Amino acid sequence: MATVVEKSTKERLLSALDDLEVLSRELIEMLALSRNQKLPQTGEDTQILELLVQRDREFLELMETAQQQGKVHQEMQLLEKEVEKKDSDIQQLQKQLKEAEHILATAVYQAKEKLKSIDKARKGSISSEEIIKYAHRISASNAVCAPLNWVPGDPRRPYPTDLEMRSGMLGHMANLPTNGVNGHLPGDALAAGRLPDVLTPHYPWQSSDVSVGMLPPHHGNDFGLEPPGHNKENEDDVEAMSTDSSSSSSDSD
Amino acid sequence: MAVSQPTQEKESEDCSLLPLVHDIIKCMDKDSQDVHQELAKLKVKIQEAREQISNMPGVDSSPLEQQQQLATLREQVRTKNQLLQKYKSLCMFDVPKAS
Repeated sequence: MATVVEKSTKERLLSALDDLEVLSRELIEMLALSRNQKLPQTGEDTQILELLVQRDREFLELMETAQQQGKVHQEMQLLEKEVEKKDSDIQQLQKQLKEAEHILATAVYQAKEKLKSIDKARKGSISSEEIIKYAHRISASNAVCAPLNWVPGDPRRPYPTDLEMRSGMLGHMANLPTNGVNGHLPGDALAAGRLPDVLTPHYPWQSSDVSVGMLPPHHGNDFGLEPPGHNKENEDDVEAMSTDSSSSSSDSD
Repeated sequence: MAVSQPTQEKESEDCSLLPLVHDIIKCMDKDSQDVHQELAKLKVKIQEAREQISNMPGVDSSPLEQQQQLATLREQVRTKNQLLQKYKSLCMFDVPKAS
């Protein structure tokens, strides 16, 4: 079944107006002709007049319809504006939801990462006692903090000690003497505390058991670091800086 | 309603061409010279009616099509309202219970 496309009201109005124009012209011409030539009326003019009246009525009805359509058009424009406003509101909300989704996704990712870390930590858990023991071991050797009564010359000091300094990149760069230069003691012996008994000093801060195997005074601890021409003041500075260090190397034992 | 009805009728009567045709016929009956003037009036009236029709809003479609468009628009507004309500009533902080 073919779909009949209904004509628009405008087309119908214009068509009706054209018809009215043609019919009225024809009627007037016919009347004028009949009056000029004194011809008898054939009845055709009556038919045209009837058609004119009928078409005029249709035209008026169409005009009413057009006015109604104008009102509907206004309503449609209001609805279109409302649709646009709703669209903009929806887009705004969608944008906010997207942002929220992004934030939540980031939070979830971070939470998952934390859970993974927690699982990992649980699998490789170490008892607190063991950690405390280890901390005692480190602190007992003054590896992380010098004793409270530390004074320059005291070999009980935190890392880095001379051995670490010499074995590090700085020590290699300076090409420092490592073996008995200028009458100094060998660095290895210093680090290990292997000194002749005659050279082993006794300090008031040393307890009897700790004093055994301690390094000698007079900055014997700094021999390896001392470049040629190095004076005593500088040595004291170096020692003071080393004391302040809070290095917590786990190699101390 | 009682006021708008006569107004509408008056507007419709204003659009009618029959009074002018009637005036022309009367002038012809009287052999009056005003017939040319009346004919000119009719032409002007027809021309004005054409312009008025061209400028009328909402007459580019038939009443049926217009009603369909109106229904579509109303449906769109309704759907979008529902969507907005749905978005606004979303429970953003509803945390699913851990199983």
